[in-house]
Amino acid sequence: MIVADLRHEELARTLAGAGLRLRTGPFVSRIRSRLPALCDTIALHYAEHPLDDAGGFADFHVRLTAPRSLRRWLRPQVLFEFDDTAAFHPLPAGQAFPVLEWGLNWCVSAHCHQYLIVHAAVVEKSGSALLLPAPPGSGKSTLCAGLVTRGWRLLSDELALIDPATGRIIPLPRPIGLKNASIAVIRAFASRAVLGATVHDTAKGAVAHLKPPVDSVRRAAQAAMPRWVVLPRYEAGAGARLKPVARGRAFMQLADNAFNYHLHGRSGFELLAQLVEACACYELAYGDLEQAVQACETIAAQP
Amino acid sequence: MIWRELDGELVVRNAETGSTHLLGALAGDILQALIEAQSGLTADDLVARLRNDTASEAQWHAAIEEVLTEFERLGLAERAA
Repeated sequence: MIVADLRHEELARTLAGAGLRLRTGPFVSRIRSRLPALCDTIALHYAEHPLDDAGGFADFHVRLTAPRSLRRWLRPQVLFEFDDTAAFHPLPAGQAFPVLEWGLNWCVSAHCHQYLIVHAAVVEKSGSALLLPAPPGSGKSTLCAGLVTRGWRLLSDELALIDPATGRIIPLPRPIGLKNASIAVIRAFASRAVLGATVHDTAKGAVAHLKPPVDSVRRAAQAAMPRWVVLPRYEAGAGARLKPVARGRAFMQLADNAFNYHLHGRSGFELLAQLVEACACYELAYGDLEQAVQACETIAAQP
Repeated sequence: MIWRELDGELVVRNAETGSTHLLGALAGDILQALIEAQSGLTADDLVARLRNDTASEAQWHAAIEEVLTEFERLGLAERAA
């Protein structure tokens, strides 16, 4: 059963009651909320995601509520709760879906240390994964969105889950978060892409989410071996400049962008070293998405 | 301490501090020489072992001293009293 199998009122009732047991990659999140707007956006962005059996194990128990204060009558807010405890400060109610997405990212990055987790987008082509590790503002999500609208499989927009046992990347296909100018860039780049409403004035500016491709969601159980590491950097007017980068620098970029490298100790070091040794590593400065996507196609076409 | 040579550079993890560093060619050579020596080396020993014909001895000595100072700061090596 997938989310789209539920009629809207069933979805709302499930969210308000026992909770929606949403499977995203290797995780099950039990999501509860009575916020109508959140029900609509979950229906849009997670339509093809599978639902887990009622009563089964859930990795994360989350709830989005309206805090009970006078403020709820004047400026309604939303609170993200994890195991019935507030995990963050409340934010304006209109930001409910971004809050859910940021909260689910936090659930994974703060708890799932069975994986080495890197702040990176990951896409796949012909069975091989391309990693885009980068700090915020580097154009990582924009490039990721551009690639998946051109047929690359989405493994993750935000969290690369590296399996220490196999070195493979475990898919976690969820909506792609776009910020500010990137929203219009993707609307123009892929007119058929499904984007949710733009939420303004968040801590990250204007935010909109791109629905993950159906094929990526259906193939969420298929891990992929890393073959390319591309360090993206947005640079206005740059076109797209691709150049090889030494593996040592790629290693450091992965380690610097990892959430839990320090927890994995020696095995984390060995894992990243093996990863970059098996990959071709590049730096991609871009200001033109079309050219940047073409640069990645060129990389993938090499034998 | 564990390390891996990647494209001519050395990536090193200091198990005591948990920190990881990327070392250039000279720093990598110095660290390997220190590790292989086991009993420690002086800066003069390193100048002699890692000869460089393109730099004067004074320049070479200064370059090695600079790397050793950085190693000390990063906790990768310590000066004997």
